[in-house]
Amino acid sequence: MSKVMSNKWIIAIYVLPALLLISILIFIPLLLTGYYGLMDWDGVSAMEFIGLENYITALQDSLFWDSAWHSVLLALFSALSLAIYLTIALILASKIKGANLLRKIYLIPMLLSSVAIAQLWIKVYNPSNGILSTVLGWFGAEKAPLWLSDTSIVLYAIFIPILWQYAGFYILIYYAALKNIPESLIEAAKIDGATPLQIALKIKLPLIMGVVKVTIVLAIVGSLKYFDLIYVMTGGGPNGASEVMASYMYKLAFSTSNFGYGSAIGFLLLLITLIVTLVINKLTASKDKIQY
Amino acid sequence: MLRKKAFSLLAGLFAVALVLSGCSGSEDASSDGKKVIKFMHLWPEGSSKKHHDIVENIITDFEKEHKDVKVEVEVLSNEQYKDKMKVLSASGELPDVGMTWSAGYLEPYANGGKFATLDDLLEGDLKDSFVSGTTEAYQVDGKTYGLPLELNIASVYYNKAIFKENGVEAPKTYDELIKVVETLDKKGVEPIALGNKDKWTGSLWYMYLADRIGGTKALNSAIDRSGSFEDPALVSAAEKVQELVDANAFVDGFNGLSDEEAKSMFMNEQAAMYLIATWDLPNYTTNEDVPQEFRDSVGFFDFPSVDGKGDMNSYVGGPGVGLFVSESSDVKEEAKEFVSFFTQEWGEKSVTDAGVIPATKVDGESLDLPQMYVDVLDKLNSATNITLYADVQLSADVAQVHLDQIQALFGKEATPEDFAKTHEQALSK
Amino acid sequence: MARLGKLLLYISLALVAVFQIFPIIWLFLFSLKSNQEIFGGSPFALPAEFRWENYLKVWEGGIGLYFFNSIWITGVAIILTVLLASMAAFAITRMQWKYSKLVLGLFMIGLMIPIHSALIPLFNMFLNVNLIDNPWSIVITYTAYNLPITMMILLGFYTTFPREIEEAAIIDGSSVHRMFFRIILPMSMPILSTAVIINMIYNWNEFVFVNTFISSDQYKTLTVGIQNFIGQYMTDWGAIGATLIISFLPLLLAFIFFSNKVIEGLSSSAVKG
Repeated sequence: MSKVMSNKWIIAIYVLPALLLISILIFIPLLLTGYYGLMDWDGVSAMEFIGLENYITALQDSLFWDSAWHSVLLALFSALSLAIYLTIALILASKIKGANLLRKIYLIPMLLSSVAIAQLWIKVYNPSNGILSTVLGWFGAEKAPLWLSDTSIVLYAIFIPILWQYAGFYILIYYAALKNIPESLIEAAKIDGATPLQIALKIKLPLIMGVVKVTIVLAIVGSLKYFDLIYVMTGGGPNGASEVMASYMYKLAFSTSNFGYGSAIGFLLLLITLIVTLVINKLTASKDKIQY
Repeated sequence: MLRKKAFSLLAGLFAVALVLSGCSGSEDASSDGKKVIKFMHLWPEGSSKKHHDIVENIITDFEKEHKDVKVEVEVLSNEQYKDKMKVLSASGELPDVGMTWSAGYLEPYANGGKFATLDDLLEGDLKDSFVSGTTEAYQVDGKTYGLPLELNIASVYYNKAIFKENGVEAPKTYDELIKVVETLDKKGVEPIALGNKDKWTGSLWYMYLADRIGGTKALNSAIDRSGSFEDPALVSAAEKVQELVDANAFVDGFNGLSDEEAKSMFMNEQAAMYLIATWDLPNYTTNEDVPQEFRDSVGFFDFPSVDGKGDMNSYVGGPGVGLFVSESSDVKEEAKEFVSFFTQEWGEKSVTDAGVIPATKVDGESLDLPQMYVDVLDKLNSATNITLYADVQLSADVAQVHLDQIQALFGKEATPEDFAKTHEQALSK
Repeated sequence: MARLGKLLLYISLALVAVFQIFPIIWLFLFSLKSNQEIFGGSPFALPAEFRWENYLKVWEGGIGLYFFNSIWITGVAIILTVLLASMAAFAITRMQWKYSKLVLGLFMIGLMIPIHSALIPLFNMFLNVNLIDNPWSIVITYTAYNLPITMMILLGFYTTFPREIEEAAIIDGSSVHRMFFRIILPMSMPILSTAVIINMIYNWNEFVFVNTFISSDQYKTLTVGIQNFIGQYMTDWGAIGATLIISFLPLLLAFIFFSNKVIEGLSSSAVKG
């Protein structure tokens, strides 16, 4: 058995195509980004090698750290919201009528492009004509909060559409994972007198831990490099209140003539994401592998 | 069974795709021996139909007159255009002819040797065709790197019907403006539509205040470094901005609204005034999609004087986009000819067909134009000064600082003094 | 008491559903309104008449070609991605070799690159092999960039796949290829369908790469084509609504189709377990 399963040639055939593709199309640009970060370049004229200057500047740049902080906040929100999605998935997976329909409905927002979602929610948040302001008006609020222009709440205001967008995705993944748990195990536990809550916490959860870990990484990495929706909704403003690392990088690279510096920021974004992922992996390392 | 289905589907798609990509001969020079000019512009059919149609006509006419040349067009919308230009220039793949903005945007391309000089056209076919001052914005070190297509000045457009209903009149001084704002605000009408998420919109307000208080010299000398941005006039202009904010002059949540959203408010009669440039004129005159009633009720007034100071014939505005020829183009001669042809035809057609003002001289009398146009053209002809938009004049980096500061100033997160100081620091780098 | 609990449960689930879908219904409603209604009336009011002309306006812009491009590019990229990802995920989780963890790590790093950083390097690369303005550049880019996330989705599944099935197959004398393609792959239909859905969403809505690598109109996809319309109608919310609904409808239909497959797969595999 293990001879068959460790046949080098087969492994190569199975892994190489994918590996090759990402090496060429992802890793090379990645390394080049780090390389451009070593240059003083406006994207038009010749490059000038300045070593680590950009990186050092970035580490002392308060705007960069502000944007990093905002990205981290977003990542935290995303990770925490996973708990909500997990709960919903658990409920759905336990023989609820209409679970399939609900699951589909939850995923629908994800079908829209980030730009479309941003456009939609800009209108939802519109101080004069949006839904939120109107509803708050019914409850007697004089002036609705200025969702997108009040610097103290704009970051939180952005989080709602993101939550809205990804709910269905994570619920779907958890649901598929939960459905993979053999019925027999659940039946056995029920016979033993376990309550639904106990079943959920002690049996289902541990069995899908692998998937949960994956979603944590996805959620955090995804939010650290999040760009589209934020850029369209607020452009990182007002006054940088909703600037995240990816939008800051874009601004520098494409709106100013500081492509070198922008690349350095992009590369730092990557490093930060890498470090965070490694930390998460360490923290959630499973001590035993679960076998059936 | 499923695998068979998947396989046939895959095979089918592959076949289709192969056939299609086999047809991608677009990057090779045209097989029938014609010279190809690659032209990129930013007027998509959906969002700028009239402009787009004029361009199509010009291309057809050009190809008719030059049977050995073919023009290949790529159209992008504004933001996407800017992004793509960045990528193209970094890879040395600029189109033969494309669009560019003046001053700060143009500089790196001029200095980096990416754009060809077009002075020969200015001395030849296009001699004396441009309104004075417009080509200067496209010069670096005395050489011209682009030819402008548009010319705009900003004025305050207002809804005469709303004004009448509330018993106010177009203000001529800043104090009158404040009174108008207060009256409207008390009556629950939003005085001024402003979408400052885009930042350049707020910049217009600031620039006019600076122009009125400090004269044309103040801002320009701060920028060209013969003066300082901490000039009291410039600080005072910043103070006035915050005065307006405090008086509730601008619509709720303006710092989070895009210019388009603000424009919607004005166009749907939810705000009384809107400071914008003449590129918007079609919306108030010829655009059939806009209700006639609204168009009839729109007028404009020049930016008010402040504390008795300010030349009412001084405007904020300037040339808009222009055409460039890539220095590394292998069809440079033809490209230049195309640019010359385009500019002339554009000058003739843009006013009547697209309702915009070209940078080439326009004879307002001979054309049958809506009244507002004639008024604007008159203003243009009697203008004593046109100050170029700050975010275009400044180099890309400083422009970004300026725009961010504008948002901070309007959002009252920066004091007028800080505003000036930050500018000064950025300019001194 | 349990009844009450269940009722509350159902209500909360329903509320979530309403939250998820209401903005879209709102979008649909105002795509049918005239500007006066949107700005003058209440956002909750139903349109006075259904202004389907908002849709006509958008459709007349010639969307057919863009639709076609989106469909084939999305389709081919999905197939490539799912195929390559499942092969690699299988090898990493089920086969025994020294570097499996390392390779897995490499794929995870692929998740982390901010897209805009890659634009210039990729553009240069494609330029050098003459693939600029060729839709295949988009197909392979999508495939590559979706590999990490697809693998992550499949990984969880493959890790918990029962060993007995493999062992049985090998004892029966089956080759690895046969085992993978004939047994494992079909059994992973639910998770594959999930991956297909995710890939579909990403590819269909993708914009930046198409905008950068494609210049000719004939190869543009729907998202890029749609961008050209959003500009003019900025002040016409009705048309913006129509545009957004039109671009999302095909995805909705495809989604309904594929998620039925997920359900079929789930119910059959649950029985097997």
